[in-house]
Order: sequence, then C-alpha cells, then structure tokens
Amino acid sequence: MQRESAIREPLILGHKTYKDITDDVVGPISGPAPLGWKILITISSIIALYGVGEILYLLGTGIGVWGLNKTVGWAWDITNFVWWVGIGHAGTLISAVLLLFRQKWRMAINRSAEAMTIFAVIMAAVFPGIHMGRIWLAYWVFPLPNQFGSLWVNFNSPLLWDVFAISTYFSVSLVFWYIGLIPDFATIRDRMVKPLPKKIYSILSFGWSGRAKHWTRFEEVSLVLAGIATPLVFSVHSIVSMDFATSVIPGWHTTIFPPYFVSGAVFSGFAMVQTLMLIMRKAFKLEAYIHVKHVEYMNIVIIVTGSIVGVAYLTELFISWYSGVEYESYAFINRFSGPYSVAYWTMMTCNVISPQLFWFKKIRRSLIATFILSIVVNIGMWFERYVIIVTSLHRDYLPSSWGEFIPTSTDIGIFIGTLGIFSTLFLMFTRFFPVLALNELKTILKSSGESYKNEQAK
Amino acid sequence: MANNKIYWSGLDELEGTEAYQSVQGQEFPESQSVDEFISDERHSSSTTGRRDFLKFMGFSLTAATLAACETPVIKSIPYVNKPEDVTPGVANYYASTYYDGFDYANILVKTREGRPIFVKGNKASGKAKANTRVIGSVMGLYDSARLQGPMKGNDVVSWADLDAAVAASADEGRTVVLSNTVLSPSLNKAIDTLGAEHVQYDAVSHNALRAAQSSFGVDAVPSYDFSKAEVVVSIAADFLGSFLTSDYDADYSSLRNPEGDKHSKHFQFESTMSLTGTNADVRTMVSPSEEGKVAAGILSVLNSGSVSGLEEGVANAVKSAAAALKAASGRSIIVAGSNDDDIQTIVAAINQKLGNYGSTIDLSNPSLAYQGDDAAVASLVADMNAGKVSTLIIHGCNPAYDLPNAGEFISGLAKVKTSVCTNGLADETASRCTYIAPDHHYLEGWNDLSLNAGKIDIAQPAIQPLFDTRSAGSSILTWAGAEQTDWYSYIRTNYNGSYTSANMYSDVNWNRAVHDGTFTIDAASQAPDYSATVNVASALQNVAKRSGGAMQLSTYVKGAMGVGNHVANPILQETPDPVSKITWDNYVTMSRSDMENLGLNTYLGQADAASVVKVTSNGVSVELPAFMQPGQKQGTISIALGYGRGANGENIGKAAYQTGENGETLSLESGLPMPIGANAFPFTSGANYDVQVEKIGAEYSLASTQMHGTAMGRDSVVKETTLAAFLSEADKPKGEASWNKAPGLNVHEDVNHDGVIDSRDKKSTNAFDLWHSHAVEEVGHRWGMSIDLTKCTGCSACVTACHIENNVPVVGKDEVLRHRDMHWMRIDRYYSSDYSLEKGAEEGVGVISSYAKMEDPSVNPQTVHMPMMCQHCNHAPCETVCPVAATTHSNEGLNQMTYNRCIGTRYCANNCPYKVRRFNWFNYKGHGKFQNFNPAADSLTRLVLNPDVTVRARGVMEKCSMCVQRIQEGKLDAKKANSAIKDGAISTACAESCPANAITFGDLNDKASQVRTISENNRSYHALEEIGVKPNIFYMTKVRNVDTH
Repeated sequence: MQRESAIREPLILGHKTYKDITDDVVGPISGPAPLGWKILITISSIIALYGVGEILYLLGTGIGVWGLNKTVGWAWDITNFVWWVGIGHAGTLISAVLLLFRQKWRMAINRSAEAMTIFAVIMAAVFPGIHMGRIWLAYWVFPLPNQFGSLWVNFNSPLLWDVFAISTYFSVSLVFWYIGLIPDFATIRDRMVKPLPKKIYSILSFGWSGRAKHWTRFEEVSLVLAGIATPLVFSVHSIVSMDFATSVIPGWHTTIFPPYFVSGAVFSGFAMVQTLMLIMRKAFKLEAYIHVKHVEYMNIVIIVTGSIVGVAYLTELFISWYSGVEYESYAFINRFSGPYSVAYWTMMTCNVISPQLFWFKKIRRSLIATFILSIVVNIGMWFERYVIIVTSLHRDYLPSSWGEFIPTSTDIGIFIGTLGIFSTLFLMFTRFFPVLALNELKTILKSSGESYKNEQAK
Repeated sequence: MANNKIYWSGLDELEGTEAYQSVQGQEFPESQSVDEFISDERHSSSTTGRRDFLKFMGFSLTAATLAACETPVIKSIPYVNKPEDVTPGVANYYASTYYDGFDYANILVKTREGRPIFVKGNKASGKAKANTRVIGSVMGLYDSARLQGPMKGNDVVSWADLDAAVAASADEGRTVVLSNTVLSPSLNKAIDTLGAEHVQYDAVSHNALRAAQSSFGVDAVPSYDFSKAEVVVSIAADFLGSFLTSDYDADYSSLRNPEGDKHSKHFQFESTMSLTGTNADVRTMVSPSEEGKVAAGILSVLNSGSVSGLEEGVANAVKSAAAALKAASGRSIIVAGSNDDDIQTIVAAINQKLGNYGSTIDLSNPSLAYQGDDAAVASLVADMNAGKVSTLIIHGCNPAYDLPNAGEFISGLAKVKTSVCTNGLADETASRCTYIAPDHHYLEGWNDLSLNAGKIDIAQPAIQPLFDTRSAGSSILTWAGAEQTDWYSYIRTNYNGSYTSANMYSDVNWNRAVHDGTFTIDAASQAPDYSATVNVASALQNVAKRSGGAMQLSTYVKGAMGVGNHVANPILQETPDPVSKITWDNYVTMSRSDMENLGLNTYLGQADAASVVKVTSNGVSVELPAFMQPGQKQGTISIALGYGRGANGENIGKAAYQTGENGETLSLESGLPMPIGANAFPFTSGANYDVQVEKIGAEYSLASTQMHGTAMGRDSVVKETTLAAFLSEADKPKGEASWNKAPGLNVHEDVNHDGVIDSRDKKSTNAFDLWHSHAVEEVGHRWGMSIDLTKCTGCSACVTACHIENNVPVVGKDEVLRHRDMHWMRIDRYYSSDYSLEKGAEEGVGVISSYAKMEDPSVNPQTVHMPMMCQHCNHAPCETVCPVAATTHSNEGLNQMTYNRCIGTRYCANNCPYKVRRFNWFNYKGHGKFQNFNPAADSLTRLVLNPDVTVRARGVMEKCSMCVQRIQEGKLDAKKANSAIKDGAISTACAESCPANAITFGDLNDKASQVRTISENNRSYHALEEIGVKPNIFYMTKVRNVDTH
C-alpha cells in the first residue's frame, strides 16, 4: 500500500470506512429527492426553457435579433463560446494531467469537474452552431463526401480546426468520464433495491464485476486515455485562440494567444469547479472529502494561471507599443481608454488583481472568500473574451467603419439560457450520478484518510 | 403532283363513316360519362381489388404529398411568339431623357425582358451623366402607390367623364395652367392650344440669378462651362450637388487633374458643409447674411478696393479668392447659390469684370430651365383665394407642398371650381384637386425636352404603361378640344409637319433622334450684350447693411433626396447623405459650439439619440433633431428641403413614412402616418437672418452609416498632398515620392547597406509572403479598378447605381441605426482634425489624450471622400478563414462570394480589414420588418430587380462582386465577336455612373488598358498596403490645391 508523509494534510477528514464512503455518495441517489434540489431544478429548467425559446426565436428569425452589425460580426455568441470552452478545461486537466502527475487530491473533485467539462463543452458547442446564418447547413463544416461535386471544406480555416478540436475533446472527455463512472455505477447497481433503477444502473455499469482483471483494465484504460487527453487540454484552447490569432485584425493578430488562452481556460475552469464544488460539498454533506486542502490546492492553480494570464495581458500591452504598429497600438489604447474601457478594467480587476489575493493563506483557505473570488474570476474571464472580440472588432483599420455593439435581450437571454441548461444538466448529474469517484477515493482512504494517517503517525 | 397526296388517319376517314363524322372537328373525343364507366360490366372482372386500390391510392397520396414538400414552383410563362427585339437574358438599352422640374439628364434605360431596371447617363447625347436622383428614379416606375387611372376625389372615374368635366369647366371662366418649368416644346404648344394662362414656378427658385442676367438682355439662367474654369469661387452654391440642373461634375473634375496642364483652384464660401464645400481647396465659413459682403468684397478687390464688414480670416480668404480670380480672368467662374437679387447682381458684375461671360459663362445659348416666376405664382395664389380662378390645371409640380405659402395655396385651391392635376401620385396637391388625370411615368411615355435652344432631347417609353394613365400633353390636348390628341403623333407632327402614320418608319431623321435620344435644330441664339453696365450700386449698399441675429438659417438640397420628388424611393432614402452620411432623415445642422451652448447631444450612436430643437423664423417653426456638422459656421444652422412630404397622410408611397423597430408605419398623435423630417419650404419665402433655436427636450435617433468622422492620422488609408508638394516630386517613380511612399516593414538585415541594422532597414511588403501566390498576374484577365480621390466629389451616384444594379437590400432606418446598412459600395468621408500624434508629442500631451482629441474633426475641416468597396485582395484575409470555402479567388483576380455555399459564420467579415462584407441578418424579402421599403418585398417593386443578380437568402454573406455579371456578359460578347475584350467594353455600375470619371475599371493584365496605366502612376496606392493583402483596387493620392495660384 502506498504510504504518504504524515505531515501532509489528510485528504479525507475524520474517520471514514469504505462503507461510509459508499453511503455518503450513493445515499443521496437512492433516497428521495430533497426539496432544495427540486426548487433548484425547477428554477434552472425554467431558465433553460427560456433560453431554448430565445434560441428558437433566433433560428426562426435570423441573426439580426442579436445586436451584431457590419463592423462587429461576433460578440456575445463567440464570447460565450470561448467562455464555456474555457470552463470545460478544468475537468480534463484535473482528471488527465493530475492523474499523470499522481495528484491524489484530484479524486475528490475529478468526477464532478469532468461532468462540468462535458456540460460546458455542450454549452460551448451550442454557440458556433446557432451563430451560423444558416444552421441547417451546419453539416457542411464536416469533411463529408458529398453530392456537391468536388466541394470540400477549407482546411486553412481555424474555424474548421475548431470543429475537429472541440469534437475530439468532447468525445475523449466523455469516454474518459464514462470509464471512470463504470465501477461507481456498479456500486450503485449493487446497492439499488428497486428493479428499474437496478436495471438501468446495471446497463450503465457494463457488467462490471470488480474482478482484479477488470481493475487492471480499468487502470490501463484510464492511463491511456489520460495520455490522449493531456495534449487535448492544450490543443483545444490553442486552436480556439487561433480563430483570432491567425486573423489580420489588430488585437487578434497575436502569437501569444495559444498559451495565454490555455492558461486563461484553466484559470476559469478551476474557478468554476470551485463555485460548483463549494455548493455541492455543502448540499451533499461531502465536507469530509472536499475540504479546505482541496480548495487551497485549486486556489494555488488559480494563482498560477491567473498570474500567467496577467503577464499575458501586460505582454500584449507592451508588444502593442513595442511593435510600433499604429493599428495594434491604437487597438490596445482603445481597449483601456475607449468606449469599452469598463469591460477592460473589469477584466483587469477580476483576472489580474483578484486572484493575487490568494497569496494570503487566510483568503486561500477561506471557503467564502474562495466562493466569491471564483465567481469574480469567471466574470472577469467572460469580459476577457468580450474585450478581445468586441473591442478589437469595433475599431479596426478603417475609422469610417468604426462602430459600436449593443447587446439585445436575445443576446443576453441566450447566454442566461445556457447557464440554465448547464445548471439543469449539472443538477441531474448530482441526482443520478455518483458525484465523487467513490471507488477511487477508497484507494486513498488508508493512505490519506485522517484517522488512518494519524494512526500511522503514532 | 406530289403535293396533292392525301393521307388518311384511318379507314373511317376514307369511308367517311358516321362515327368519324361525329367526332371530326372535336379536338378531344367526348369523354365517357361516369355512370357509363361504372356500369361497365368488365370492371367486375378487374384484377384491381379494393386493397390494391387502397394501396395505389395510399402510394399516390404519399407521393403527391412528398412532391408537395418541394419549394413552391413559380411558373413563368414563356413568350409564345418571341418579340423581335427581346431576347430573354439580353438587355436592351433605350435612349431617353429625364426631367422632373429639378433634375435633367440624358439617359440610357436598360430593359430586361421588357422591364426597365436601370438608368444611366447617356454619354452619346450629352456631357451630362445621371446623378444619384436620376439613377434612383427607375424605382418610381414600380411604386405601388402610383395611381392606376383617373380619379375624382377618391373615386375612380373614366377618362371620358373626366375629360368632359374638365373641358366643360375650361370653357367657362378663367383657366390657368400651373406647372414647373416646361421644357417640352410640344407641351408648351399644347398649353397654348388650350388658350389658358400658363404660370410656371420652380421648387427651388432661381429668379434672382435670372434677373441678374437681365442687364445683358437675357432672361435666363446662364450655361456654365466648368471645364474651362481654372478658378472657381462659389458663394454657397452647391454646384456639384444640387445647383441648377447640377450636371457640372464632369466638367469640374476634368480640371481636377494634377498630371494635366491645369489644375483648378476652388474657393467656397458657405455656412453649412455642402457637397461642393467638401471638395473646395479653400473653404471659408460665412453666415448667410455675409454672403453678399463676400461678393461685394471680391468685386471691391478686383476694383482695387478693400474688403469691409467681414472678420479678418474671411476677408483674407476673399482677397486671395479675388486675386486668384483676377489671375484667371476669362478662365474662371464665380457662382452664388442664393436667390437674392443683390448677391446675384454683384456676382454677375464680377463675372463681367473678369470677362467670364462669353468664355466660361454663356448667355447666347442659356439654359431654358428655371423659368419659374415667383411673382406670377404669388398673384395666382391671391387670385385663387379671391375666387377668380375657375379651372386650374396643375402639371408636374406639387405646390401644396413646395410653395413657401403652401397653406394659402391649399385654401385657394378649395375655392377653385374645377382643379385637375396630372401628377402620377395622389400627393399633397393631387389629392386636393377635384380630378386627377395621372400622367405616365417618364419611362412609359413620349416626350420632347429642350434644355438649350437648338437641342431637343427625346424621352421614349421603355415599357407599356403599367396602368391606365395618359400623357399630360394628351390630356391637355383633349381638354383643349384638339383634333389630334395622340401625344406621340403630336410630338412628331410638331417637328415634321408632313408626318403621317404611313411614313412612321421611314422618317430616318426622327428614328435617328429616337435612337440617339437627341437631335439638333436650328434655333436663333440670344444676343446678349456682355458689355452692358451692371448697376451694382444699390446692391452693394443693400448687402453692406445686412446683419444677422444670434442664429441664421440657410436651406439646402441634399444630394440623394433633391426637392422631395423621390421621397418614397427607398434606395435614395437609404443612400447616405454625401456629407453627413445620415440616411432616411432630415435634421438641423449645427456647429459644435452652438450645440454645446444649447446643451444638445453631439454624439450620435445606437443608443445616443439626437436632441430635438425647435427652429422658428419669420413666424414659421419646425421641430427637427440637431446634427453636429463640422464646418458649420458658428451662429448658423441649415435645414434640407425635400422632407416632410405627406404631412396629411397622402398615399405617396409606403417608404415615404417613418417606420418603427418592427417595420410598422409610425403614426402621429392624430393617427396619420408620420412623415420623414419636416418641410423646410416655408422658410424659403425670404431671408432667415434671425432665427430662434431652442431645445425642446425631446430626443430622436438619427441613423448614420458612418459614426466616426476623422481618419485618426492613418495615412495609409487616405493619402493626400498639396499641389505644390505634388509638383515638386511629380516625376518620382511610384512609391518614392514623399506623399506616396511605399510602406516597408523593418527586417533584421542590413537592407540599406549602411553597416548597421536599424529602423531604416525596411523591405517592401511585397517581399513578404506567407503562402503561394495566386497565379493572376499576367495570366489571363485580372480585373481591377482605380479610384482617383482627387476627382471623386463624393456625390454618391456610384452608391445608388451599385445598390440598384446588384439588388442590394434596402433595410430601413432602424437597421441602419444598428449599423447594418447593406451597401456594397460606400463612400467613406473623412474630416481633417486639428490634432495629430506629432502635435500631441510637441505639446507634451500623451498618446491617449492625443487619440481622443483626434476623434474630433476641425471646426472647418478639409474633407476627403473615399469610395470603398471590396478590394478584391489577391491575398484575401476573408478567403482563408471561411470554413466551407464559400469565398474564393477566381483566376481572374476576383474575390468571389458563393452564396449557395455560405453557412454564415461571419468570420470573413470580421477578418476583412476594409469592412466591406455585408451579412443578411434577416430574410429581407419576407420578414415583416422590411415590407414597407424593401423592393424585393413588394410584388410590383420587385420588378426592378436585376435578373442577373441573385437576391440573397437570409444568413449569407454578400459584398461587391465587381459586377461579375457585367464582366461575364462582356466576355461572352467578346467571345461571340471572336475578339479580345476591348478596354472599356466592360464597366461596373459604379465606374459607369461616376459623373467625375474618378473610377476606372479594366483588366490589369492588359498592358494597354487605362486601369493598368493608372495603377503604375506614381499617385496610385493600395489602401492599407502595409498589411500585404494585395488588393486589385488602386487609389490615387488626393491632391488639394491649397498652395498655388
């Protein structure tokens, strides 16, 4: 059995047994739905339905129901897309990269972080779809053999790379997530009494029997998938950033974008994990498994990535001056002093200044402060994409075409709607899926569980 | 003989049986009755059982249902007999003439399958090209508000009843014909036949200009020849936009030619920024009350006197203008726009003094337009009110709208026993007349028009009348009881007394005249006495006495809208004003300082509406939004004429009224539809030297296509220089002159071999290439264009022509407000700013504040007009980013947009440095928001669409195609003729319509082509050359003549 240094903080607090873990995770699934959950899902599904309605209105009427115009061809649509993709980064990073680095603390959060990833990527995928003028022809972006003669996609276009990057990322994340779920589904199956849920979980668990052979394969597949997923963590947002970086628009045409976007994505992903996890540990009484140490670890990731993002912002500013290109330098001057300077300074405050507060141990280990700052960070990251997209476009090369973008209620409605859909999906997940990787947690119970560690120390 | 062989259809016919006889002659044999069919016993043995029947029926029903899922098929009916001259798919052109009382143009009408779809200037019959309004006029033919037949009040009557009533009335009492200036010799003759009084007036009166020529013994507005005018001084005359019949652009631009021997110098004195003012080399702001003093000052300087009564800056400008005029005596022109006797008299004296009469100004063959008589109209209105007019025939004018005293006219009209109007719409005047006898649209009827004695222009129909309308001439002849009332025959008899229907086709001269659209006749020319004394003493006294109040008002006419004849023309409404870039609206132009003093909003945006002000002068007041116009003299305001049509809810066309966010027609409190803007004609009754302007607290959105005024010091967008600077380096090779330096990019190698690597080591952008070049240079064709910024006046004829040629959607005010105008071609207008980064550095002001200050135009800025459309980049940023390859490069250098393939990601538009791509945000032809103005949404107006150009679907990107349909047509023509394409054989809509010849289109790979020559000129450059997208559009550096003469 693996041993862990006694001075490391334990990852599972209190005295838990294997059965306790199973009870803590499976209990909420087998029991009746709590009232709070019912209220939340009602609210979020109403918001989700409103969003769906707005999307249908958009599809039925035309992109004109948004506030876009001849100068600003993308705004909230692509901002939301990049924002959601960014959020979708944390899950795979936690499960794949941290697995490879043998960070055991990830076990408490990886399941829901991955779920969040899947749902966030689904939300992200909504936007490139509905932002098309003719969504009914969306399948043309796939290199399908077709009856249109020799028509083929344009492999030069970063939007096409996006299609591949996002769909690959989504499929790998989904498979990875599901593989991890199999032993836990089997545990639930074994605990279920009612025939129908038992049947469903037995189908979902793919006949898992817990044999050593199964566990070996499980470990191997996880490792292989982690190996595949790790480069994807970096590729997806790099490619998303190339939508901008390969263009000629001042403010977009920047080689720093790929690393800057990836760290920004991890930054916002971890913030979203914090937001969700802090609510979940309270609601599902998982304080023993997700505790201050986990939060602190994640806050450290947030400091690191937040600082990278901050450096990237300053580098951009410096280069815009140093390059001597008047368009580039104006684009950045306009960012912080032009009509959208409020967005810029919101971004700077939320993304550069606020994560630095985590240098203070007190704040880093404060759950309330973390919760607030995690929301602040995601507001900041939304504004970062808004600043990059809208303020670069609204004043580009020809001053004659300079314009402004004002969102319509449909712009706002669809964004809020995706938050509703996301919450609905996540609430469904918490109700029917094991929110912790319980079988994985059991592997560290003896090595990192508080009571066991203390005994060893003795 | 073989021919007599008889063939039988069968034995029955040979034998002539009874059965044969009974069916012979019937095309179809009589069908069997249902009863007979059912009672046929053989059916009982049929193999088709009930179940089979149901199966068949089910299958057929399903098949029919599925077939019905196809897009609806709209059947077009082919010609049974092909008309001789109409080949489907091939356009026919007819020479004709446009005249509406304000504009005059020799035109060519393009028809497709019998439908007029495009109007352009006819170079063969006159120097004039069609201006914006004339190009847009084709829309009027398909206006669904046009009257479909004669009317009595709101009731339809027959022509016979109408004629009987009018003729009877005309026989009794006093009959008066009220019209605009009639330029048709035949119509004048017909009116004479009626034996009635004929009163003429013009919406914009030029009585003073005409009166000023009376010293020389001629009562007419002069003919100006700007092609000889090396110095032009204009005192508030917008001769490039709306002055007289405004066909001076070509002549004026012929001397805006820095490479040529002569480059003209243009001084402009005016209160508001007119289109002409934006083109001036030296523009000076003067208030309306000072215009006379400017003229007096010039005359005084010419007589070696001094300038008085003007502030120093203006006085200096007057002195230099006078000096320039003097140096170019006999080769200059001074014009004044004001309808003020004193000013026009002084101007006439100056021109006489300079010896311009007889050289640049001609009175021996003057313009016949603007013969209106303000005094006669005033007395007619008085007579009408006194009940002294029993029959009033109104032709070609709208006095109930555009007379300064329209209210009195309306009350007088009610007292006229029988009034009849020939207007084609039930407009302000026609709807108040007893009868309306609608005239043909000008594209439907014959006419003869004569702008100058000695030249008759023919207007010929390009289509059968759409409705039961009748030529006004024919109506008047009918009412006069003439024997010959057929208008066509009348016109022909008028010129050839021996005309009979038998020699209709053998009259070679007439047929040639119709073909050319014009012919010349011998006419006695006037004999002006240019040496007569012009008495300016009283005029000088009068103008010296003039002074203005705190605020003065001038009225002007907008380039796209004219005097209100085109108010229901959505394309002209959406053509941005050449100066303000505002569409669909009328406003008060004000200076920044005046607006700030009144606390008015100077920043307009989607959410930033203009402040409404109330303007009162001489007891007349209007409420209009205020617009900050750089170059507006402080203490003056200006309002455009031609707006506020349909104040009483007249049916003058759906597009004439304001529409709201959902395209619904907005209503006034009274329930009537809300007109666009306010009528400023009441202000034209006299001078408005003391007006009150007050803020009333209301707000009103103005929709502009260009929010930002200055070029922000970006000198690779617009390049301009002064004439002296140009001449000093005129011989330098392209890319080396200081005013057109080829951009270079710094590289880390010792390019200039000076031993160090520093910022002076630059390489041409051509040296950098990310990818393989498209094989377009020197291979096959490479279509390109050059645009001379020195010649371009900004008149916007190209914008309108492009709009109509390419079926560009009209999107309405609300969408323009959201920055979603669809113009494929636009004219960017940049004002100069007092500030620059260099100035900021000198003054120690930071870059950020400098940029902020550079956003504000100067108080009296210099202006550049830059036509902007797809640059057809050979390294197009849009092409690489489209995921589905919907926009690609043709092997002829065109950046082509494949609508069918487009999925609408808008990535291409974002990545376009020139922002010329336009997205179909809605289904413009079907969506309710656009029903009131989009031509494609109206079943009649739709007929104006160009069948060669697809009407784009919702959700696709579109942009300038360089009129690829015309290129294709030209290539096919050349192929049929088995020859190479001649330079100039193909022209785009914009190049063809440019009155100033600023745009040249052609094949850049054709070494002899004009466009190739121009592209190699040292003035030519690419906009944003340093980003290396390698456009096929060249611009020519603007040269401003500020420092010579």
